[in-house]
Amino acid sequence: MTIHRVIRKVQRFEGWFGGGAVLCLVAGLYLGLIGSPPDYYQGEVVRIMYIHVPLAHTSLLGYTVLAVGSLWYLWKRDPIVDNMCQAVAALSAVFTALALGTGMIWGKPTWDTWWTWDARLTSFTVLLLILIGYLMLRTFVDDPEKEARYGAILAIVGFVDLPIIHFSVEWWRTLHQPQSISMRGVSISSGLLVPLLFMSVGMSLLFSYMLMVRTQLLYLDRLLHAKKGRLLSQFHLSKFDS
Amino acid sequence: MTSFNVIRWIVWKDFVTELRSRETISSMVFFALIVILIFSFSFSMDQQAAREVIAGIMWVAFAFTGIIGLGKSFSTELQNDCLEALQMVPEAKGAIYLGKVAANFAFMFLVEILLFPMFVILFNLEVVEEISLLLLVFFLATVGLSAIGTLFSALTVQIRAREVMLPILLLPLVVPVMIAAVEATKGALNGDPLAMYEQWLELLVIYDVVFTVVSFWMFEFVMDS
Repeated sequence: MTIHRVIRKVQRFEGWFGGGAVLCLVAGLYLGLIGSPPDYYQGEVVRIMYIHVPLAHTSLLGYTVLAVGSLWYLWKRDPIVDNMCQAVAALSAVFTALALGTGMIWGKPTWDTWWTWDARLTSFTVLLLILIGYLMLRTFVDDPEKEARYGAILAIVGFVDLPIIHFSVEWWRTLHQPQSISMRGVSISSGLLVPLLFMSVGMSLLFSYMLMVRTQLLYLDRLLHAKKGRLLSQFHLSKFDS
Repeated sequence: MTSFNVIRWIVWKDFVTELRSRETISSMVFFALIVILIFSFSFSMDQQAAREVIAGIMWVAFAFTGIIGLGKSFSTELQNDCLEALQMVPEAKGAIYLGKVAANFAFMFLVEILLFPMFVILFNLEVVEEISLLLLVFFLATVGLSAIGTLFSALTVQIRAREVMLPILLLPLVVPVMIAAVEATKGALNGDPLAMYEQWLELLVIYDVVFTVVSFWMFEFVMDS
């Protein structure tokens, strides 16, 4: 199983990911909270951006990983890929919830409301609901193989649905400021951009680190259950013999 | 038996079962009537207010009744291990999917056609001349709901708490259908020019095509055992 070996090999470097995450996040937080100038319009409030935007990016990245992993699982049926999918879904759900929470805190002073049915807020809420549905679905299936397969199907359908949800909600209503970093170039001053980049890279590294640890944990947990099952059956068989 | 015959037999089987038991359609219609009743208690509406919210109420009722029909679609197959018999059909699993989608679509569309006059009467709507456009909206949205709903009906049928999990998984995924259907229905009911809500019809068509293809493909993995 090649992917298995690749994952094990990458996992040997997980300390580097964790260390890099700490370095980037410390640098990003220092630059963002102390080193960078306050925003012309929003003042000091803008500093929550250094947390909010990286969280949102990373959760979308996580969902992409989930979709790719699910496709891979349906293709190869490799259990460790499924462990990774389960880990990445839980992490993405946490990051999405945090992105929504920080967004609400940011929205209160700038838009003067905690919540509004704006396009990106709504599609992120739907994303969170899909992820929670995914995690719930997994707990309701008894057979581990079926659990992995059904989860993968939901993840893929949800991934195809996300852009359609986003466009439909965007047509429905829009209030959110347009993205500052897009294909057309960067519309944000470099004083604010550098800490944002540090935070984005740091958050992605942190996410990868947590993902590796959790994948390993789930993998070992499944191994343990298999071992336990085998030992129990041996025990029962030996009793049956005597 | 060709794949086309599989589709035909499944539709035929579902219709005969429905004709003999009369379970699904009657429960869908009565449930929708109760939803209408509760909505009319919740909002005290004059005719002006009714025009604003009626499209939303209509699609909430249609989606909830649709979920009842979709849930029954595969849970009836659990009796006498019919699901395993379906899995043993030698043709491609996609044929079973298409047959089930066709049957679910027919039930949901029929219920919507039955319920629409009740909405007109109970909420004092003015009957519009654009009835064909309204039917087109119903058609496109119901195709979308049944295409993705049939996949999740098959997926949730073999898990615990399936009655809860079907709406929990399905409703977030059909957000685009609900938005587009409500906006287009509002436009058609108010007699707006087509250009004002054309984009919602296009969105429905895109959704229908995308999710018929994706669900058709994913259904293979649901039935795989």
